[in-house]
Amino acid sequence: MKIRKLLFVTKFEDLCYDALNSLLALRNASLEHVVFLNVIERDKVAMKRGSGYLKEEEVKLKETANIRFIDWAENLFEMGLEVGAYMEVSTLIPEILKVAQKELPDLIVIGHSHKGVLKQLYAGSDVTELIRRTEIPILVFKHRIEDNIVPEKLFERPLFATNWSDTGKKSVEYIKDLKDVIGKIHIMHVVKESALKSLDTHEVQKVRKVERKRLDDLCDELEEAGINAKPHVYVGDPQKEIEKAAKEYQASMIILGSSEKAALLERWVGSISKNIADQSAFPCLLIPGNKNI
Amino acid sequence: MSKKVLVVDDDQDVRSFVVTVLEENQYIPLVAQDGVEGLEMIEKEHPDLVILDVLMPRGSGIRLYHKLKTDETLEKIPVIMFTGIALRSFLKSQKVLDEFKGGEVPKPDIYLEKPVEPEELLAAIKKKIG
Repeated sequence: MKIRKLLFVTKFEDLCYDALNSLLALRNASLEHVVFLNVIERDKVAMKRGSGYLKEEEVKLKETANIRFIDWAENLFEMGLEVGAYMEVSTLIPEILKVAQKELPDLIVIGHSHKGVLKQLYAGSDVTELIRRTEIPILVFKHRIEDNIVPEKLFERPLFATNWSDTGKKSVEYIKDLKDVIGKIHIMHVVKESALKSLDTHEVQKVRKVERKRLDDLCDELEEAGINAKPHVYVGDPQKEIEKAAKEYQASMIILGSSEKAALLERWVGSISKNIADQSAFPCLLIPGNKNI
Repeated sequence: MSKKVLVVDDDQDVRSFVVTVLEENQYIPLVAQDGVEGLEMIEKEHPDLVILDVLMPRGSGIRLYHKLKTDETLEKIPVIMFTGIALRSFLKSQKVLDEFKGGEVPKPDIYLEKPVEPEELLAAIKKKIG
């Protein structure tokens, strides 16, 4: 699936032009259309005692967003990209889904601030809800914690953590379509410690060997598609190990498939993907499973 | 016979403003909310004039203008650009599209940057279609 159109959801505090700019490398992977969405939360303009519906506030907020979008759009238009914009008073997730249904983007980008309120607003439950309700991949964008700067080359060195699920396979196909923007990809699988509980060293090493072989095959597949790939086997708690690997290999982002079956059980999405999207220092590309089970 | 003018703009306030100006001056207003709907209306209704915004959902005025001016059956329809996007950016984008898609589109005859007074809009409409 090529990324031709992306939906860029912003509240301006968390995702600005620098973030958008770092995504423009996707032009090498067929990006031709960017749609902006600014959702003004209802409580900002809701009826208040003595003042009624704050129409003036709505106009002010919409026009403020419009002015920002016009400025961004001019830059993108000049690059030959197609641009659209929505400014709506609504509730975040339903509005994202509504716009996604109209525009059919190939990627949804949402922000994640390391600050408190926005963290709650955009990550955590919201991401979980989005993953549950859409098949469109979601990029949870983050600024670098240490200096709050946008990672310049987001796709240069991703880390893909696979759990060998069907969604993992879907993620591989998605990654292949990013071959013109990915510099080198690190592929990892985390073996749970429980799988290594054996007195026999040979058995323990066998587990590693099997997983390593699967990763090697996957790397070969990606290299055939023109992507430089490096395999890694880790052992332990998946969330901690994924974060550790991302740091060790200075990943530019983490890519995770999210299993639909597990999502229903509130496990994979409810824990690993959600927690990484919510707590990791790295931007996360979450690839939801198909919604047909 | 009254002339048909199509307004393509995603902002309802702007559509209402233009429609009022048109109705008060005996033009027949048609409206579309985005570039996709706009093109469908143009192909169906063949309006005498199009008043076109740029930044819209589901297809911008940038692409629609380029499409109109490179389509033999539609290129004669006059267009007034009516937008917040600067003319400079508009022209650059058309140049990029020319290189990318082929063809060389003419500059829009009239480019109005929002907001404008009703008199200014009316004068522009009259200049194009009388």
